[in-house]
Amino acid sequence: MVIKVDEGNLKQGLLGLVVALVEIIEEALVRQAIRRIESGRLTAEEEARLSEALADIDEALKHIKKENDIQDVVDSVIDGLSEVADVFLNPERWEKEMKKA
Amino acid sequence: MKEMKVIGETELGEGRYVYCVVNNVAKKSLGNIGIERAEVYTVPYKDIAAVVHACQSQPYQSRDANKVMGWILSHNDVVDGATEHFGTVVPFSFDAIVKGGDTTIKDWLREGYEKFKNELERLSQRAEYVVQIFSDQDKLVEKILVEDQALRELKEKIGKMPERAGYLFRRKFELGFNDACNAMRAKLVEEFASQIKEHVEEMEIERKISHLPENYKDKKLIAAFSCLVHKDNVRSLGQALGKISQEGYAVHFTGPWAPFSFVKLEEV
Repeated sequence: MVIKVDEGNLKQGLLGLVVALVEIIEEALVRQAIRRIESGRLTAEEEARLSEALADIDEALKHIKKENDIQDVVDSVIDGLSEVADVFLNPERWEKEMKKA
Repeated sequence: MKEMKVIGETELGEGRYVYCVVNNVAKKSLGNIGIERAEVYTVPYKDIAAVVHACQSQPYQSRDANKVMGWILSHNDVVDGATEHFGTVVPFSFDAIVKGGDTTIKDWLREGYEKFKNELERLSQRAEYVVQIFSDQDKLVEKILVEDQALRELKEKIGKMPERAGYLFRRKFELGFNDACNAMRAKLVEEFASQIKEHVEEMEIERKISHLPENYKDKKLIAAFSCLVHKDNVRSLGQALGKISQEGYAVHFTGPWAPFSFVKLEEV
């Protein structure tokens, strides 16, 4: 993946990259938390606390994205990383596309 | 075609920008219709010709996205014009440049003659059509919820929970919904492909589209196909798409285009 950094928007680009990575980690945490809830080992109070903690992270990320106008940068970093992941998950199709190009 | 591109050349020599290869016998100017109003002309060899303009042997590159878009549009205009003028074309992607002059182009046509000729024959009377099938977001949600009891129950549960405490369950719903949505799209892509395939010579399933048509902005893309269609089958393809449209999907059907997705010239 090529990450293009426009010198004028270095802060936006860098912040976008960091927020994208935090979003990816947050999604992994959410999936983990859902598994925990589904295991049935948490009390209702623990479930609510876990949910609120992750809701706070989500809210903070939304706030940072809005304040700094970096939603597009974040989306494009995540799209780029998804494509890289796709290469590992589906190498045959990738090989075909490379030949076509 | 990668080997044709000249990148990082320090001493710039003569080059020819290649738009397409066509059936033709005579050298002919098509006027100043090329990239940056360059004069486009044909370089014939036997009964085929390359449609080119003279340039330096370096790729067209710019950091200005609008400028690049303008070049690409000019490229496509020339290929469309050549299609109108000569019938079948073997189109090249933007920025295919051969290092050398008209003599080099002739040599290049001679070397690849058989392959170009075969491609012109294979693509004759055929054009590329693009089919994009969309669904209303609401209809899709409704359809998925009807089929998935667990998601339906989860949605009801979320409705009764306080905002922050329900966050994880909302995320669970989103993740589950996305999975269900992808599974349904995969199923529909196969269904649509089987409805279309008898009317087309070849078909490519596109994973994503570069430009969402204005009228479809609020809809969800279900499937996108590039199809190589014989001119006698365009009407029947249109009818098959009409049936899909009657099932409640929005169908965006465009063409004819030069068959960019179906050129097979790996070894030229």
